[in-house]
Amino acid sequence: MDSLFTAAVAGLSAGGAYAILGVCAIFTYRLVAVVNFTGAAIGAAGTFAMVALFELGMPLLLAVLFGVAAGALAGLAIGLVMTTWFAGSNASTKAAVTAALLVGIIAVGLRLTGGQHPHYFPEIIPGSAFRLAGVEVTWAAVTTLVLSVAFTLLTEQFLARTRTGLQLRALSQRPMAAELIGIRVRLLALGVWAVTGGVTAFALMIIAPLRSPDFASLSLLVVPALAAALIGAFSSFRAALIGGVMIGLLEGSVSAIGPVSQYRGAVPFLVILAVLLWSQRGARWDEAR
Amino acid sequence: MTKTRNLLLASAAILLAATVSAKAAPTCENGPIQIGAVSTVTGVVDFSDAPRATQAVFQQLNDAGGINGCKIEFTIADDKGDPQVAAQAARDLIDNKGVVALAGGASLLDCAVNAATYDRNDVLAVQGVGVDPLCFNAPSVAPVNVGPYTLTTAVLDYATKDLGAKKLCTFFSIIGGTQEAYAAAVARWEKISGNTITLSDMTLPLQGDLTPYLVKARDAGCDAVLTNQVEPGVVQWIKTADAQKITGINWLFLAPGYTEGVSKALADSKQPIYVGTEWEPYTEATEANADWAKTMETAGLAKTAFSQGGYMAAKVLIDTISGIEGEVTRETVTAALKEGKELTYPIAGNAYSFGDAKAHSPMQATKIMQLVDGKWTVKTKDWFVLPAAE
Repeated sequence: MDSLFTAAVAGLSAGGAYAILGVCAIFTYRLVAVVNFTGAAIGAAGTFAMVALFELGMPLLLAVLFGVAAGALAGLAIGLVMTTWFAGSNASTKAAVTAALLVGIIAVGLRLTGGQHPHYFPEIIPGSAFRLAGVEVTWAAVTTLVLSVAFTLLTEQFLARTRTGLQLRALSQRPMAAELIGIRVRLLALGVWAVTGGVTAFALMIIAPLRSPDFASLSLLVVPALAAALIGAFSSFRAALIGGVMIGLLEGSVSAIGPVSQYRGAVPFLVILAVLLWSQRGARWDEAR
Repeated sequence: MTKTRNLLLASAAILLAATVSAKAAPTCENGPIQIGAVSTVTGVVDFSDAPRATQAVFQQLNDAGGINGCKIEFTIADDKGDPQVAAQAARDLIDNKGVVALAGGASLLDCAVNAATYDRNDVLAVQGVGVDPLCFNAPSVAPVNVGPYTLTTAVLDYATKDLGAKKLCTFFSIIGGTQEAYAAAVARWEKISGNTITLSDMTLPLQGDLTPYLVKARDAGCDAVLTNQVEPGVVQWIKTADAQKITGINWLFLAPGYTEGVSKALADSKQPIYVGTEWEPYTEATEANADWAKTMETAGLAKTAFSQGGYMAAKVLIDTISGIEGEVTRETVTAALKEGKELTYPIAGNAYSFGDAKAHSPMQATKIMQLVDGKWTVKTKDWFVLPAAE
């Protein structure tokens, strides 16, 4: 039991990462109606921009700022593609487009960043915050958790209380109507993409030193992130936040249980499956009757 | 009538040639000797350093006049990490190019896909860098590198003998059918050392957080931990160990961890990090590396560990062909390799021989490097050689 708890705590840093990425996934879905597979890849682009600048001798703080800006730019670029050519497409087409873009970005990113060769990732937030059940919980893990909570609360307040928030809600629910009443739809949508890009870039910079430091691995963090978003049914930020942390903890504990630990990577998929079955249970019952 | 006369003339000429040079001398009446390599060049990884080095050695030989006047034509076929492309590449080399042997290949899946094809066509592969388990478990392939499995045994043995490790643990990422090969490597170490492994975990994920695994290693009381992580994984492993403030464990890695990327990325770590090399450490400017280094510089190629494999495979082929008497064909080259003559090179710790066995892992020696302040340092001046495998 003890070792299970230890392993669960060990999964906390992964959980923080999934939570912030999951919240970002919901952010893009709620506001521009895109299930965004490129989320983590956009962040990875920003992160690698930061690393490249740091390697060139730029001070860390400046490199981080430029990296966040690069992430925002990358987000903007994807946003341009989506709003220019796929604004009127349905949700599944948009999701398919971002999945295709992800494959392209990973291929290009791997080549540009030297493939599997690791880079030196400076620790933006070094050290460990506290020790729990024999596991050092790092400041990086704590920061990602705090960041995801802050992002969740800020977004909720922003959407509920500001004029721009209201316009954003209009945009996501009835894009055509929003455009007709004079809301600058495209500008708002691009803004959403840029914000997501910047936030994921910053989040990945914090996470990256303790992850496999290559472009593909960082980009594929989108899988557990989407699982987390699904727990929030792509609408509830809070549920996604908790879901992300839960997936991390679950992954951690599974790795302590001998016979099933080799299926650890399947945890996000099982979670997705379980959530889908649960959310569709009503429909199934109705049909049966 | 003329046919018979020509035949007579030809045999007379051959007889004459044989008496003039009593030494063995290969001939090549059908043009240059064709040799090829199936390698992963594009795709997820780029292993082309190995076949490019092979090419450089053959080029050097051709520029110097070839073997007894016979030039070598070398073809690199890209398998793109795709089994179907790999199979096609092998068939093209065998059927269309008419290669007499394969040399210097480094691929994610060439052996797994093509070993049987090579066997059926009686063509042998002197793999530059064998990666998948079939490279070390097929009659048609004998790599010039030690390989991850033998290296696992060797590095564990080093940890027992030289680092005084008592509680050894292993963590492996299993891709394809490598589980049995790693298990056999650990079992071989248990037999050699008389120890038993404290913890053997075969569930290391390719991606994801490693904290649970490092905590597991620490809580099991391991004093040396070996993993088969490749470059980025090595960095992640050590960074996670630092984040968890784990001390007192020797971290052992295989040859993929021995790169400059790793040494740079881990320059500020105080963890004791060891790797086993496939050949004479490529970062050292030693006498043993002199000829390889010169060849790479002349050809303008990067001096990487993979290029050592390509270099050595080319040397094996050249020395094998030089010993052939008469026409160099697939049959004569295969026969010469199967003779199993021992070939010694300074960049390897023991003699290479192909031979007629059902499986080959001729290379059984490594040198251990330690990462000290961001610099790879040789820990074993002499080769660390494993006792012969049964």
